[in-house]
Amino acid sequence: MGEVELSCRAYIKMFLHSCLFPRCSINGLLLSSSPAGGAVCVTDCVPMLHSHLPLAPITQLALTQVDVWCSQTQQRIVGYYQANACVSDSSPTQCALKIADKIAEQFDNAVLLMLDGGKMSPDYRVPPIVMYERKDSRWMLKDKHTIMLRQWEETRAIASQMLESGDHMLLVDFDSHLDDITKDWTNQKLNTKIAELASPANGNI
Amino acid sequence: KMASISEMYDVGWEEMRDKLRKWREDNCRNSEQIVDVGEELISEHASKLGDDIWIIYEQVMIAALDCSRDDLALTCLQELRKQFPDSHRVKRLSGMRLEALERYDEANKHYDAILQDDPTNTAARKRKISILKAQGKSTEAIRELNEYLEQFVGDQEAWHELSELYINEHDYGKAAFCLEELMMTNPHNHLYCEQYAEVKYTQGGLENLELSRKYFAQALRLNNRNMRALFGLYMLAGRGTKENKCSMKAVEEMLESMQITMS
Repeated sequence: MGEVELSCRAYIKMFLHSCLFPRCSINGLLLSSSPAGGAVCVTDCVPMLHSHLPLAPITQLALTQVDVWCSQTQQRIVGYYQANACVSDSSPTQCALKIADKIAEQFDNAVLLMLDGGKMSPDYRVPPIVMYERKDSRWMLKDKHTIMLRQWEETRAIASQMLESGDHMLLVDFDSHLDDITKDWTNQKLNTKIAELASPANGNI
Repeated sequence: KMASISEMYDVGWEEMRDKLRKWREDNCRNSEQIVDVGEELISEHASKLGDDIWIIYEQVMIAALDCSRDDLALTCLQELRKQFPDSHRVKRLSGMRLEALERYDEANKHYDAILQDDPTNTAARKRKISILKAQGKSTEAIRELNEYLEQFVGDQEAWHELSELYINEHDYGKAAFCLEELMMTNPHNHLYCEQYAEVKYTQGGLENLELSRKYFAQALRLNNRNMRALFGLYMLAGRGTKENKCSMKAVEEMLESMQITMS
């Protein structure tokens, strides 16, 4: 299977999502604004839930609404991410596999990304992520060498800085949107902040 | 160094103390805030707090554990140990600190010691179950929690915890049973109705979807701002029959009146 590129913006929002709800399992959708074919470029993500991940109605609602938003903004859903509450276990749960399967029905090269909570502390220098791809109807571990994070050191630095400044409190996931319907699950404010902090040299925001 | 809480928010120590009390009463888990406010209150105004200080030490200690502030947690714990040397309540806090440090075997020893002395100590039993959960031993946690509930059948918190564990194991039937217990004893709680409806929706099948619709509607009756219930009804409404088309219209009208669009 092909290469996957993870943008600064996508990584930081996933990171902040897991920092905002450190005691919960969280999940979300990975999006791409690049044309299909070649490497899969994950350019953005939509944080979805921090409670009751296995339950259907809100997941279905979120998928529908994100789908509509994507068709209006020339993006597509290309994958799914999840971080488990139990830090010692970063393997995909049944519900992660189910949702990823659904996404794969619409997009052949869908990716399943698990955040490894145990490797998110500042002493770890590698991206705390594990990626899976679909091979013969099963989700298989992806070769690390096919996963690209451009400007990783810079992304990492921005993520830490935003966490320190409390910017994770600005992040809105779909669950929070349902608690307060005025909150923006596309996180435009956060996108702007991230863009400001990223250096002009990093074109892959 | 950052400005103090009292400077930043222009509050006096009484307001800080009252805020902590409100968070205690509402059982909030805003640990970072509790640590910020509590740490300042303790270090600068301890003498003014009177007997409140002990419960504040406990509250701040637990919040400190939540934020990996073992230094602060230990300080609070040591004050409590000095004041209440033989207390089971304080021993439980020692256990919680060990849990935070992932020294689960030692923590369990603390709780077992409490239970030896006092077999009815529910707090210690719940901590032991929490350890199983933290270790990813869901099956054991579920078994222990079921045993606990046989004895303490009125414990709402435990029933809800059990429903969450079952949902995570995809055992929706048993999750529904727990939520039914909760709805029986809390008939005005819209959240239980809505969660029950979500479980029924997930189970699927004609009968379950019918129940789902009923309970989303009930949740909405109890709280007309419950968005999950509203959307749940909306999604169930658009399913074919004439009757459903009518309820879809009703939901759309409700959405409009709340000035929410589905785009």
